[in-house]
Amino acid sequence: MTGALAALLSRRLLLVTGKGGTGKTSIAAALGVAAAREGVRTVVVELGSSDALAELLSEPDAGAPRAPAREPVPVAENLFRLRLEPERALEEYLELQLHVRLFARAIVGNAAFHAFLDAAPGWRELITLGKLWHLVSLEDRAGQPRWPLLVVDAPATGHGLSLLSAPAVVIDAVRMGPLRRNTDRVQALVTDAARTLVLPVTLPEELPVKETLELRARVRELGVGLGPLIANGVEPELALPDAERALACAARLPKGVAPSPLAEPQVVVAAARHRLTRNRLQREFLETLARETGQPPFELPWLACGVDGPEGVRALSAELRGALA
Amino acid sequence: MKPDRWLDCRVLVTVGTGGVGKTTIAAVLGLEAARAGKRVLVMTIDPARRLADALGTGPLDHEAREVPRERLRALGAPESGSLAALMLDTKRTFDELVLRLTPDPAARERIFANPIYRNLTDALAGSREYSATEKLLQVYTEGRYDLIVLDTPPAVHALDFLDAPRRLTGFLDGQVVKLLLHPAAVVGRASLRLFRSGSEFALRALERVTGLEFLTAISEFLLVFEQLLAGFGERAREVARLLRDPSCGFVLVAGPDFSQARRARSFWERLEAEGIHLVGLVLNRVHPWPGDGTPPVDDPVEAARAERWLSEALTAADRELDASACARALVGAARAQAALARRDTAVRSELERALPLEADALRAVPLFAEDVHALDGLMRIAGEIFAVRSDA
Repeated sequence: MTGALAALLSRRLLLVTGKGGTGKTSIAAALGVAAAREGVRTVVVELGSSDALAELLSEPDAGAPRAPAREPVPVAENLFRLRLEPERALEEYLELQLHVRLFARAIVGNAAFHAFLDAAPGWRELITLGKLWHLVSLEDRAGQPRWPLLVVDAPATGHGLSLLSAPAVVIDAVRMGPLRRNTDRVQALVTDAARTLVLPVTLPEELPVKETLELRARVRELGVGLGPLIANGVEPELALPDAERALACAARLPKGVAPSPLAEPQVVVAAARHRLTRNRLQREFLETLARETGQPPFELPWLACGVDGPEGVRALSAELRGALA
Repeated sequence: MKPDRWLDCRVLVTVGTGGVGKTTIAAVLGLEAARAGKRVLVMTIDPARRLADALGTGPLDHEAREVPRERLRALGAPESGSLAALMLDTKRTFDELVLRLTPDPAARERIFANPIYRNLTDALAGSREYSATEKLLQVYTEGRYDLIVLDTPPAVHALDFLDAPRRLTGFLDGQVVKLLLHPAAVVGRASLRLFRSGSEFALRALERVTGLEFLTAISEFLLVFEQLLAGFGERAREVARLLRDPSCGFVLVAGPDFSQARRARSFWERLEAEGIHLVGLVLNRVHPWPGDGTPPVDDPVEAARAERWLSEALTAADRELDASACARALVGAARAQAALARRDTAVRSELERALPLEADALRAVPLFAEDVHALDGLMRIAGEIFAVRSDA
């Protein structure tokens, strides 16, 4: 194993983010599968209440528990899945801090406290990072990391940035105390590029490209390390030699005599024109990304079968290994 | 509800998962309403610069920017129709709120200087949703527009957006907040052993975790905010009423894939349960089938036959073409297009089955090869959505 993939797998915490619809959840899952295949014990972490990762990683009839668990749930050799819910993480954190379950229960079970938590902004981001830090720092009896690699399906761009900037808010507002000490530790992990990287996923289309470039600038400002840029959904080039002449010729063919709608002049011309336009636009946006970031993005092909289950994730994972080799 | 009836609403909210084209659809709805003679404001969270360029508003910011009248007239809008757009700015919305609700200049300065306020307003999740609802109410109350189109953040968080008003009201009624508002209860350790209420007990336990300083900071923050939050709570209740009013319609925007269709369904159910009025669904970026009838079912034998025929036809028409390579590429493109068109049709049927849609409440918009931002692109989409009319 060499190249970009090896560089990624030497990290401890990979945060996959991007504009909604860019396929970041599929790519987080595919990256997890690729890492596990290289022998790295990997946890793919999903934030919040979505079940998307469970659908992507587990066979439909696997009967694996889909409820949020405290511990990562095994899904394949070297591969684990964890759904991280802030409420649950907060309860765990309070237990750890207070050493007495009764206290933690008193807080978490209190209705008034719930109303407070519902409205108070920021604690979800903070506790999420805190739990990730905790998972990173757990060691086995031999003193080795218990979870060497976490791949996080991080929230879409805007909210992903709130996640990364939450510690700075506490550090700005609080000078001492246990909360500050814990936040300092979290911040040290997040801003250490040897351990933590943000992986932006984009599509070669106008708005995702623009948003990704803005994201990179903001991540840099926050002092967080940036991993390679992944351009997903790159459509294959249409291999149509002498395209304009071929299309003009096809357009002149008589209508309604072809033995199949797949050879009808209006169909082949419209389908090919659509593809050629898409190819040209995607090329332009990939060039913009290369120009603005100083290196070409890693390209993942658009998969006709779609990625909505373990089979699609395996296919995407093979592409990812190829692209990052 | 037929699409032209959507425009009878006073507020239209576009919702859906990320990357489905909500902002574009919001602009299309606004444009069509202006063409129907209404005074319209589109509020977006998405700084789509080319959209602003296309509308001719110049860069969007926190103030409403008018689309030049001559552009609207050229698109067939009557004299009474107008269209403006603004981009929500969280920090500015909160600052305006402070200015309006805090008459005392010294108190204002304390708020603006508070570190939690400075960070809260743009760095933390949730504040965007609060400010979107606040700005909506502000513009709605001013009554300068016949229709406000609100483009929301992506789906998971759009639910936050609906919850934001209720969360705030719950927050303000909460006992923990009341305790925090009286720092003596927090700071005064005299009553440490006397847990008069469960909340107080919870607060003590929390203090052990966060440290006293943090609770004191929050307490200060809440003290300077007490007046502000009281006003905000009332406004939050007003927004909650407005969003559930029959004059407020939600338009769900979805993309054509099965996982999105599933999400659209659960989203729809959630909105119905909330008492939200869903007026329609736009299935965006559907792959059109350029041939007559329905796209053929995939069959390698038929594809091979099509390729052979096309290759011979091209050879006969132009001897200098690499006819077999051209035929392979052309039939390949047609086959891929057919597969996508079939999938999109299936997604559409699934949505129609799953959702209690009125006739013509689901409108499909084809995928255009080029990104749609220019006005003529918006007009093309409007043409697709508003092709059925209630008077027809």
